[in-house]
Amino acid sequence: MSILYDEGQQAIATESRRVLDARANKARLLGLLERVGAWDEMFWNTAVEQGWTALAISEEHGGLGLGLTELGLVAQATGAATAGAPFLAVGHGLAHAVAAIDDAALQAQWLPRLAAGDMLGTVAFGEGSSPLTATPAVTFADGILNGAKDGVTGGLKADIALVWALADGEPALVLAELAGADRTPVDSFDNARLIADITFAATPARLIARGAEARELALDVLARMAVVTAHEQVGGAEALLFIARDYANTRRAFGQVIGAFQSVKHRIAELYGLVEIARANCIHAAARAGQADFLIAAADARISATDAYDTAARDCVQVHGGIGVTWEQGLHLHMRRARSLAIEQGNMLFWEDLLVERLTGVAA
Amino acid sequence: MSNPDQFRERAHAWLASVAPVYGRAARRGLTEEQDLALGRAYLAARFDAGFAGINWPIEMGGQGLTHIEKVIFDTEEMAYGMPTGYFAISLGMPVPILIRFCEDRAWVRERVIRALRGEEIWCQLFSEPAGGSDLAGLRTRAEGDGNGWKLNGQKLWTSWAQYSDYGVIVARNDPTAQKHKGLTYFWVDMRTPGVEVRPIKLAGGDSHVNEVFFDDVRLEDSQRIGGVGAGFSVAMATLMIERYSATDSAGFGPHLDLFVDTVRDLEINGRPALKDARVRSTIARNHAMRAGLDSITGRAMLMLQAGMEPGPEGSLNKLVSVRSRQKLSELAIDLQGQRGFRFHPEASQKEDWGSSWINAPTGRIAGGADEMLLNTIAEKILGLPQDHRPDKGVAFNQIPA
Repeated sequence: MSILYDEGQQAIATESRRVLDARANKARLLGLLERVGAWDEMFWNTAVEQGWTALAISEEHGGLGLGLTELGLVAQATGAATAGAPFLAVGHGLAHAVAAIDDAALQAQWLPRLAAGDMLGTVAFGEGSSPLTATPAVTFADGILNGAKDGVTGGLKADIALVWALADGEPALVLAELAGADRTPVDSFDNARLIADITFAATPARLIARGAEARELALDVLARMAVVTAHEQVGGAEALLFIARDYANTRRAFGQVIGAFQSVKHRIAELYGLVEIARANCIHAAARAGQADFLIAAADARISATDAYDTAARDCVQVHGGIGVTWEQGLHLHMRRARSLAIEQGNMLFWEDLLVERLTGVAA
Repeated sequence: MSNPDQFRERAHAWLASVAPVYGRAARRGLTEEQDLALGRAYLAARFDAGFAGINWPIEMGGQGLTHIEKVIFDTEEMAYGMPTGYFAISLGMPVPILIRFCEDRAWVRERVIRALRGEEIWCQLFSEPAGGSDLAGLRTRAEGDGNGWKLNGQKLWTSWAQYSDYGVIVARNDPTAQKHKGLTYFWVDMRTPGVEVRPIKLAGGDSHVNEVFFDDVRLEDSQRIGGVGAGFSVAMATLMIERYSATDSAGFGPHLDLFVDTVRDLEINGRPALKDARVRSTIARNHAMRAGLDSITGRAMLMLQAGMEPGPEGSLNKLVSVRSRQKLSELAIDLQGQRGFRFHPEASQKEDWGSSWINAPTGRIAGGADEMLLNTIAEKILGLPQDHRPDKGVAFNQIPA
């Protein structure tokens, strides 16, 4: 069963949109694209000030004790604004893993600082082209981490990472402070994501889980981050839907507004369908966190949201014609974000295979 | 437990108890006449059990419950494949219009109860050769004839007219008025002299739709529903009756589980078909899409229960689900290779890929073609403009042909 947003949740949605609208600055975001290692600190200060870092952390640890639904609503607003810092999803992934294990000291050490935004967390699972390989090349032994992770979102500025590694031949999740790791910025099409290749060389780390338990927790963390990101994708896709609609209602050609041509209006109506299906999946998935069917719901949300944002990015530019491909007009901010979000938290191929494995019992 | 939950449980229990008599399995192998007879018996049983006319007024023979119980019952009922198709139009549009607009209440009550019991069937005579999606382009003429009317013309795609006792019809009373304004709505007795019904065989082999010819058919003025020239707005009221009806994210075709079952024993290049990336991607995309539609429906139900108006996204269901069912059915046939040639068009569209495939185009056209649904979304929800309309503001008989 799905849910209806309550008043508090609606207020979070409205307020986060309002704050981001008030501080939106396209020139600032465009400037970030051409600078490697720069990020939207103004957005991040806003996130901390608004308490978004504390949303899904328990009150006991200085958080607000809310959940994925509320975090999703904020992510939707940041998606619409192509707001330029990546920690909402990956920070939640790390905080959730810390909160999920039975270690009060560790929780007291990290969660209050993550909630206050004093520390930034990320998740380093992927290697090569695989979002979660069965046999990671990064190894953990005797409290020491060795090996390399590719393209870690937020990796350039994060203080601590949840790392997918191999320990004595079985998969493990470990926590590593990144001050002791070597970080190389990736010059990307979406540089505000602070993407880094990270090399661990005898970096101290702490075991969180291993074996089947580690894989289960890793999938849960990925699913949670995927649901947050899916909300962000829906926010971006919906923004593009409205931008395309507004342009089609004003731009004139052949003696009428272009929105009167079915080739244009149907394209935009199809976007509406993709956005609403993805939104419905997101609302449902956020409400299923912690339930047995959560991974399936998260996969549905992730797949439909990636489809919605990618299609919206393509079609909104197409509706605009030439002006849509200019630097200054800025639709490429969404094009770029649609691609980076499509890769973060596991790409479409990963989620399709995972969903079908859960539905049919047959692995790829 | 809330009332809707109690109602669902009660409905479920009754449906399960009669399913062996009327449900999908009992219907296999029946001729259409036998199936229709079973359907009439099912409707009588449903009436006696208190599940007929769920959200219709008690004084008209209904149950006086809300829209929520109606959608709950329809959703539960759909799962059993009961023989209700013959009566879907009858109870969906014409009879509610009678309840809403007809003044002779005793006569209406008798019609309602007979229709609810499956004893009488009503058809809806709207579409014509020159007016399908463009309903107001219809040409059937209603001319004044003494104190009544005389009907001449042809209707098309009329579902179940061959079994119908009555119909509702929109006809043109004034060809010099603008197209939407020269129409009037009537009910008609299908046994009146001059009414001729000819079934049309469709691509899948069945003949549930008909051509209906009217040759100097006499109507009394008391058979008029709504004002003279107000026929289009009465017809539009029809569309507003069930703003939220039971939906099927499978597009009224087979469930995705059946696709997985079909594929599970197949191989591609010597490997299990379920390991093939194309198959996996199809399953995943369809699951995500159907789950989204189901969540939209679930949220709409919650909104109804909370006394709110469901969002317009409910209108996506038919558009999205039926065309995806069409493609999924094609793939299910293809995956079976040479074995996919075997064809049972008379099988249930919800259980058989061939039957689902051959009948899918009807689903994408009937009740609002995909293109019309996209227009509606674009114009009514998103506020995009109407198409260029050379027929607007022009007398019907002056519209360029």
